[in-house]
Amino acid sequence: MPELSYRDKNTVIHALSPLVKLAWGGGLVVLSLIFNHPVYILILFLSIIPLVRLAGVGREWASTLKFTLWLGLSIIVINALLSYHGDHVLLAAPFRLPVVGQPVITLEAIAFGAVMALKLAVIISVFTLINLTVHPDDIMAVLLKMRLPYKSVLVTSLSTRFVPCLVEDMGRIGDGYRTRGVQLDAGGWFKKLKNRAKITIALLANSLDRAVQVAEAMEARAFGSGKKRVFYKDISISRMDAVTLGVGLLPLAAGIMVRVLGFGDYRYYPNLTSIGFGGWEWVMPAVMLLLLAAVVPLAFIKRRVEFD
Amino acid sequence: MIRIRGLNFTYNGADRPALRNINLTIEDGQFVLITGASGGGKSTLCRVFNGLVPHFYGGKIGGKAEVQGMDILKTPPRELATKVGMVFQDPENQLVTTDVEREIAFGLENLGYPKNLIARRIEEALDTASIANLRFARNNELSGGEKQKVAIASVLALHPEILVLDEPTSELDPQSAEEVLRLLERLNDELGLTVILIEQRLDRVVHLVDRMLVMGDGKIIADGTPGEVMNGDIGGLGIGLPPVIRLMRELKSHNAPVNGLPLTVKDARLRLQKVLQSVKTADFAGGGANLKPIVNMDKVWFSYGERAVLKNINLDIDRGGFIAVMGRNASGKTTLVKQLNGLLKPSKGKIRLEGVDTRKSTVAELSRRVGYVFQNPNDHLFADTVEDEIAFSLRNRGADENHITSAVEVMLDEFELGRYRKSYPRNLSGGEKQRVALASVLVGEPEVIVLDEPTRGMDYILKKKLVDYLDDYRRKGNTVIMVSHDVETIAECAERVVLLSEGRVVVEGGKREVLAKALLFSPQINRLAQALSGYGVADTTLTVDEMLEQIG
Repeated sequence: MPELSYRDKNTVIHALSPLVKLAWGGGLVVLSLIFNHPVYILILFLSIIPLVRLAGVGREWASTLKFTLWLGLSIIVINALLSYHGDHVLLAAPFRLPVVGQPVITLEAIAFGAVMALKLAVIISVFTLINLTVHPDDIMAVLLKMRLPYKSVLVTSLSTRFVPCLVEDMGRIGDGYRTRGVQLDAGGWFKKLKNRAKITIALLANSLDRAVQVAEAMEARAFGSGKKRVFYKDISISRMDAVTLGVGLLPLAAGIMVRVLGFGDYRYYPNLTSIGFGGWEWVMPAVMLLLLAAVVPLAFIKRRVEFD
Repeated sequence: MIRIRGLNFTYNGADRPALRNINLTIEDGQFVLITGASGGGKSTLCRVFNGLVPHFYGGKIGGKAEVQGMDILKTPPRELATKVGMVFQDPENQLVTTDVEREIAFGLENLGYPKNLIARRIEEALDTASIANLRFARNNELSGGEKQKVAIASVLALHPEILVLDEPTSELDPQSAEEVLRLLERLNDELGLTVILIEQRLDRVVHLVDRMLVMGDGKIIADGTPGEVMNGDIGGLGIGLPPVIRLMRELKSHNAPVNGLPLTVKDARLRLQKVLQSVKTADFAGGGANLKPIVNMDKVWFSYGERAVLKNINLDIDRGGFIAVMGRNASGKTTLVKQLNGLLKPSKGKIRLEGVDTRKSTVAELSRRVGYVFQNPNDHLFADTVEDEIAFSLRNRGADENHITSAVEVMLDEFELGRYRKSYPRNLSGGEKQRVALASVLVGEPEVIVLDEPTRGMDYILKKKLVDYLDDYRRKGNTVIMVSHDVETIAECAERVVLLSEGRVVVEGGKREVLAKALLFSPQINRLAQALSGYGVADTTLTVDEMLEQIG
């Protein structure tokens, strides 16, 4: 599986202000949560593809998509098995269960599960794109720009920075345990839990040691000196960035407006309503698609302006 | 200047002081080496210089300590940061940000310096540490040596007058260690920076420093130039002398007409050339007896994803042998030895442990025959007490409680851990933890014991004890396989050496075949022997004793 951490690349998407990417991505996540209509969700998903292509991270995105596919399939299966709503019964069990009655698999439950899986794909794709194209320290800078307290932001950033170390520690400690004859996945659930608990305790102890060492190193480099801290690589917002940011936020504003006006909803149960749009209603998803895609030409214009 | 008078310090909860009556003056521009046994107070003293002790750690402190005229006991580390820069042992845990440029800027940002000054300081620091090419590199992609250089650059950017380094090379391979030490030499020589360095491997540094302090039991037990300290009585100091110095001391004790102590191989060669008269012929060639192989590796390949880490390894390891596995970092050493107990299984080829294919056995099954001691003892420690830790493997196998009790007693005694039997293993010192880790593996009496860099960061006494123990263990018919960069230790104790590069076995043979006449991997004495071969000294000489046999 390719590494899913930030890599510096010379693309228009990497060159976009992190603030813009975070605003655009955050907007997309919110929209995927507030919309239910499959066409709107599909538009949200499709709008990510050009950015992924332009950022040159297609391979990494595809690998997360594969993982999402399995996750999505399990959502569909679980929903189909546990949700007995819906009029179109595709399969009925030859027995009845207490309380819930006869287990059935309905078309509506499958459709609902599929749209939930698509929503998940939107959210995971956004996080993948942000992760691959925004420098972690820039995320920190954006959070600081939003006036979040520096110490909290630094702690968050440090925790992210040490995640790979934690994973390595876990592997090594697990190996240490196995070389002493322990079969981590053997035995009943209680034994497995007990074995894992020992590893967790060792992991925690290692992390505490690491925390002390990091704190010591920070203190030795004047952390908390009492002087007003400066940020060498502060995020500056040019006029062009402000315009792009505005455009990046437009889909969110428009989407909220669409929902407030009562569009973008969809009824799955007891039977699926028509997926089509009546009269001029199709204009709204079309506008949404245009607004979502607008960030792409602006990224090119920004690059051109910067070169000029 | 650093001035310390009558300093005593005890950590919170400790039953004895970490520093006792320290009196010390370090003039500006000196290069000072601090060495001595583990737990002797070296790191604590260095943390006094920048105020981490007592301000960060807390504890009871008495006496006086001043750095550049500032009272350390009243000045917190963050205010001393522009006077004293500190670089720590673990390169990973002292980098705070994600890339090199931001790392160097971190301290300057904390001090609220203007951005143009920060930009200038970053340039200077990058150039001074010779890492301008790494400017935009991500910290997690750097090698250990590069990380240490970034750590040094990040403190240099604060323009400290004193640079304190706590075993900065202990986690590095020899090449990276050499680069870091060369950088320190330059900082001291050209910029006049005061450098205070804690180091165990004296052969790496004695020729660089002006002054050497030896600490033991919280006190300074020797202080002087390296020549003065190493020429005196070193019996109680707990330090291991570099082989050429040991050789000269031995020659002197045999009344050979040699003057002074050499700090480098060149120095030793010049001194010896003047006095060499008769050399007894010796032939150290030839390996040990042909023993029966216990491990057979046949065309072994191993890959992480698409990256081949081991490439077509063919190797027989003899029962009762002592084999050292050497090579640069990332050459595949650890991956190779992890195949032996099934932690990793070959992608292609076969490994047989006395005919049994490791792919058909679980790690648990193999662990009864192949013990594995990890680099970091913390990876071994799970139990609540030392005795439970040692008993763990046997108990897990369902051994009889009487047998467990007696086996644990033997180990506690063997590794001098009796007084810690009820202690929580993770609360012990580094050396003690290492002993617990070893005991917890050796209690199972594996026929093959694999040790991954066991001597890294170990003081001389511990190293000596470990090597003696392993030699004894091997003589009982067991096999010892040791991954190490420590050429001097390997020259003393190994029989065979496997040299890996880029996942392939480059050389494999008797230690003389591999270590003698090698450019990078030859021990000090062999480099000296090569230079003296014109006088009849065997160029396969590896150890002090072998040299003495010829010229003593």
